Amino acid sequence: MKKLLSVLLLLCMLLSVTAFGAADEVTYDGSEVTITFYHTMGSNLTAVLDNYIAEFNTLYPNIHVVYTSVGSYDDVRDQVSTEITVGTQPNIAYCYPDHVALYNLARAVKTLDGYIDSTATVTRADGSTEILGLTPEQKADFIEGYYMEGAQFGDGQMYTMPLSKSTEVLYYNKTFFDQNGIKVPATWDEMEDVCAKIVEIDPNSIPLGYDSESNWFITMCEQYGSPYTSATGDHFLFDNEQNRAFIARFREWKQEEYVTTQKIYGAYTSGLFVSTDMTRSYMSIGSSAGATYQRPAKGADGSYPFEVGIATIPQVDPDHPRVISQGPSLCIFRKDNEQEMIASWLFVKFLTTNVEFQAEFSMASGYVPVIRSVADNPVYAEFLNKADGGDYVSALSAKVCLSQEKAYYTSPAFVGSSVARDAVGSLLIKCLTIADGTDVDAEIGKAFEEAVEKCRYAIE
Amino acid sequence: MVESKQQWKAWLYLAPAIVLLLVFTVWPIINTVAMAFMENYSGLVKVGGDSAFRIGFGNFVRVAQNSEFQSSLTNTILLCVITVPVSTVLALLIAVALNAIKPLRNALQTIFFLPYVTNAIAIGMVFAAMFNIVGSIGGRREIIVTAGIVNNIIEFFGGQKVNWINIGSTYWANMAVMIIYIVWNALPFKILILTSGLQSINKQYYEAAKVDSTPRWRVLTRITVPLLSPMLAYVVITGFIGGFKEYTSVVGIFGEGMGPAHDPGRLNTMVGLIYDSLATNNQGRASAAALYLFGIILVVTLINLQVSKKRVHY
Amino acid sequence: MTADRFDVMHARNMKKLSGEQKGLEILGQGLVYLFLFLMAAVVLFPFYWMIISSLKSLTEYRLSRPTFWPQQVLLSNYADAFTTAKLGVLFKNTMIVGIVSTLLSLVITVLTAFAFARLEFKGKELLFAALLATMMIPGELFTITNYSTVTNLGWRNTYTVLIVPFLVSVFYIYLLRQSFLQIPNELYLAAKVDGTSDFKYLWKVMVPLALPTLISITILKMMGAWNSYIWPRLVANDEAHRLITNGLRNAFTDTTGDVNYPVQMAAVALVSAPLFLVFIFLRKYIMSGVSRSGIKG
Repeated sequence: MKKLLSVLLLLCMLLSVTAFGAADEVTYDGSEVTITFYHTMGSNLTAVLDNYIAEFNTLYPNIHVVYTSVGSYDDVRDQVSTEITVGTQPNIAYCYPDHVALYNLARAVKTLDGYIDSTATVTRADGSTEILGLTPEQKADFIEGYYMEGAQFGDGQMYTMPLSKSTEVLYYNKTFFDQNGIKVPATWDEMEDVCAKIVEIDPNSIPLGYDSESNWFITMCEQYGSPYTSATGDHFLFDNEQNRAFIARFREWKQEEYVTTQKIYGAYTSGLFVSTDMTRSYMSIGSSAGATYQRPAKGADGSYPFEVGIATIPQVDPDHPRVISQGPSLCIFRKDNEQEMIASWLFVKFLTTNVEFQAEFSMASGYVPVIRSVADNPVYAEFLNKADGGDYVSALSAKVCLSQEKAYYTSPAFVGSSVARDAVGSLLIKCLTIADGTDVDAEIGKAFEEAVEKCRYAIE
Repeated sequence: MVESKQQWKAWLYLAPAIVLLLVFTVWPIINTVAMAFMENYSGLVKVGGDSAFRIGFGNFVRVAQNSEFQSSLTNTILLCVITVPVSTVLALLIAVALNAIKPLRNALQTIFFLPYVTNAIAIGMVFAAMFNIVGSIGGRREIIVTAGIVNNIIEFFGGQKVNWINIGSTYWANMAVMIIYIVWNALPFKILILTSGLQSINKQYYEAAKVDSTPRWRVLTRITVPLLSPMLAYVVITGFIGGFKEYTSVVGIFGEGMGPAHDPGRLNTMVGLIYDSLATNNQGRASAAALYLFGIILVVTLINLQVSKKRVHY
Repeated sequence: MTADRFDVMHARNMKKLSGEQKGLEILGQGLVYLFLFLMAAVVLFPFYWMIISSLKSLTEYRLSRPTFWPQQVLLSNYADAFTTAKLGVLFKNTMIVGIVSTLLSLVITVLTAFAFARLEFKGKELLFAALLATMMIPGELFTITNYSTVTNLGWRNTYTVLIVPFLVSVFYIYLLRQSFLQIPNELYLAAKVDGTSDFKYLWKVMVPLALPTLISITILKMMGAWNSYIWPRLVANDEAHRLITNGLRNAFTDTTGDVNYPVQMAAVALVSAPLFLVFIFLRKYIMSGVSRSGIKG
C-alpha cells in the first residue's frame, strides 16, 4: 500500500513538472548575486567594460559583476582549469574553443541552449521586461560563422557566445604595389608570382611575412578541403598527401626567401613589414586586430613613409574563400546556485547583443563586432567611413573583415585540439627550414609522423 | 611537571614550521605518489565524475615511452656529464692558480665570483644575444643583418660563422651554447668552495714539494687533488644535483620554446617536462615524471657518496 | 706521510734551489697570471657586452662589424627599458615579496632552530632526521600539488602565494641550528638560573651571537626572491604581482616588431645592478653564506 502511494506520488510530481513546466520556467528572480568574470583585457578595454557594467546595473542593480584581467589566454585557461578542480571557478570567462573542450572534461561548462530558447520573462529594475532567451531578431543578427562556433563540440549544443572576433588579413605596402604596378594577389599562385617579382625589384627583401604558423597550416587545410582534425573518432588527420604537398611548396618559397614567419624571423613579422631598413617585407599576413602594428612609424615630417593596403588573404579558390575566425568567446560555468548562472547569462547576453557596447568595444580593441546591426550604429558607421591606409588603418581592417562574413571557419574543438594546433605550427616551421641537399620528402614525411605521434601521446 | 611544560613549549616554537611543512611539503609528497599510480589522473576528469582511474604503473610506462621524455632525459644527462667535470676541472685550475699568487688575488677572486650574483634568465638573454644571428640564413639567399659578437670573433680569427641557436642550427651547436653558459654559471660556486678548501691545506706539504722541486702538475695531482677531495666530492655532488634540475638556463637562452624555433622542445630537460605535463592537465603523468627525477637524483647521489667513500681522503 | 718527514726533507733539500729554478719559477708565475687573466676576461665578457650593447643605438648594434665601444652613448635606452619592461612595478613587487618573506622566514627559522638546538622534547632526533630527508626531494615534486593547494586557498595572483609556501627552509634551519649549538650550554643554564625566559634568552643572547649566519640567510633568501622564476610564473603571472625575472623574460617576448636588443640589454643591466651593489657591500657574508649553502640563491 505504501509502495503504491509513493509510486502515485512520483507520477503526480512528474506530471506536474511536464504540465506546468512552462509556467514554472526558471528565470532571474532579482536576487542579490555576485558574478566573477575572467578576461585578458588591458586597461583601455576595461574602461569600456566599466561603462557597460554600470549600464547593465541600471537594469539589474542586484547583479554585481567583478572582473579580473588574468593575463594571456593561456593564463586564463590554466587558472580556470585548476580552479575547476577545487570548485572555485569564475562564473564567466574569456575562452577559445580548445579551452571549453578542456573544461568539459570536468563537465564544468553550462550549455546555453536552455537559456537561448527560453521565453520566460525577466523583470528589470525599472519595471520593464525582456525575455530570458534571445528573440528571433537577436539570433538572426549574429554573424552566423561566429555564432556557430559555440556549437562545434561534437554534440550540437551551444557552449559559448561570441564576444568579439578577428581574422587574418593580408597587409600590403600599397605605395610600393602602386609604384611598381603590382596587383594584390588573390590566390596562392598569384602570390608566388608577386613574390618573385618583388625579389626582382628589391633583392634584399623577404616579400611576405606570415605571423601565425599554426593558422597558416590550418587555413590551407580548410582552403584545400583536406582533413586537419576531427572532433570525433580518430582526431589527428592532418598527415595526408595534400598537406604534405602544400608544405613542400611553401618550403620552396622559404628556400627562395619569399616568405618568413614569426618564429622563423624571431619576432612578429609586422616588424619587417613596417621597417624602412634595407631588409624588409612588402606583405604581411597577420591578425586583423593588430592593424595598428602594421602601420609604419611617422617620419620627421609627420607623414607615414608608405600607405598600408589591406585585402583578404590569398585563397586556393577565390570564389569560395576561407579565412580563420578567432578572438574571444564567453562561456558560463556551472554553479550550484542557478540564479548565478542565470545572472551570468543575462550579462553575457547583454554584452553580445548590445549594439553600443559592440561598437565601442570593437573600436577600442581592433576586433570586429559579432552582430550585423553594429554597422548601422552611427558612431561605428562613421568610424568605418574614415578607413584609410594611415591613421584609420584599423577601420580599414574592420571593413575588410566585415566584407568577408561568409568566409569564416572554425576548426573542431576537442581535448587535444590545442596540442594539434601547436603541433602543426611547429611542423610547418620544421618543414620550411629543411635545408637543400637532404631528402626533403623523407624529412617532411618524418616530421608529419612525429607531429601526429606527439598529438596522440597528449590525449591517450 | 617541568618536563611536560618544556614539551609543550617546544612544540609551540615548532608550530609555524610544522604547519607549513605539513601543507606544502608532506601533503605534496603523499599526493604526488598517489597521483603517479593513478593512470592518467587529471583533476578535471576527476571533477567530471569519471574518477575511476586505473591503479598501476601506467603513468610510468607511458612517460618512459614518450620520445620527449627520452630526449629530455638524454639532454639532462648529457648536460650533467659534460658540464660538471668541465666546470670542476676549470674551477680547480683557477682555484689553484689563485692560491699560487699574492698580488691581485682578492680582485680576481671577486671577479670570478661575479657570475654567481646574477639572474640566470637575465644573463641567459645576454648570452643569447651574443650567439644570435639577426637575419635569415639557411636558404638559397642569405640575408644577414648581424652575425652576433661570438661569430664576429670567430670570423676575425679567420673561422667560419656558426649557426648557434637560430633556425636550422644543429643539436650540438645548441648544446655547445648551453654548455658554455652552464659552465660559466657554475664556476663561481665551485671556485669559492675550492679556494677556501685550498687555504685550509697545510702549507708544509707545498713547501716540501717545492724543496723536492716536484713539477707543478705533479703537485696538483699528487698533493692538491687528494687533499682537496672532500671539497671536490662536495662540488661534484651538488653539481650533479643542480645539473639534473637544469631548466632556467635553457629558458634564458632559448625562451620557453626550449629549443630553436624549427625544433621546439629539442633542449627540454626533466624539470621542463614536468612543467609541460602540468599544463596539459595530466597530473598523473607529471607526478610520474617527478618521481623519475627524484629516483635519478637519489641514485646519482648514492653513487657519488659510494665513490667518494672510496676515493676521498679525509 | 707526516709533516715531520716533510720537515726533514725540507731541511735536506733547501740548498738545492738554484738560479735556474728561480727563473722557471718566475716563468711559471707569469703563466699562472696569464691563465687567470684569460679566464677573468671570459668571465667578464658577457657583462662588458651587456653594458656596451645597452648604450648603443639599434642601428649601431646591428652593424655587421661590431664596435667595441659605442660611437654614441645612448643613455635613453635605460629609460626605454624602464618603461618597456615596466620595471618600476616589477622592482616594487620583488622588494615586497623579498623583504616580507625574508622577515617571516627568519622568525620561523630562529624559532625552529632554537627548539632543535636547546629545547628537549620527545621525538626530536627523529623529527630532525625527517626534516633533513626532505632536502633530498626535488622541489618540482611539490609544485604539482602546491599548485592546486594554493588555488584551493584562493591565493592565485596574490603576494601571499609568492611568500608563504617557501617560508620554511630546512636548510636554513639546519644552518642556524649548527650556529646555535656552538653557543656554550653554560650560558643557557646561567640564564635559566637568573630566571631569564627562553624567549628573552633567544632574543638577547642567541640571535646576536648567530648574527653572521642570520645575515647569510637573509642574503640568500633575498637573492632567491630576485631569481625565482618557475613558481611565480605558474601562480602569479598577472601584471600587479609579477616578479622581476618573469617580467623581464615576458617584456621582450611579448613585443610586436623587432627585438630592440640594446633596450633589452639595458633592462638586463638594470635588473642585475641591485645584486651587484649588494654583492659589493656584503661580499664577505655572501661568500661565506654561499660556501656553506651549496645552493644557488
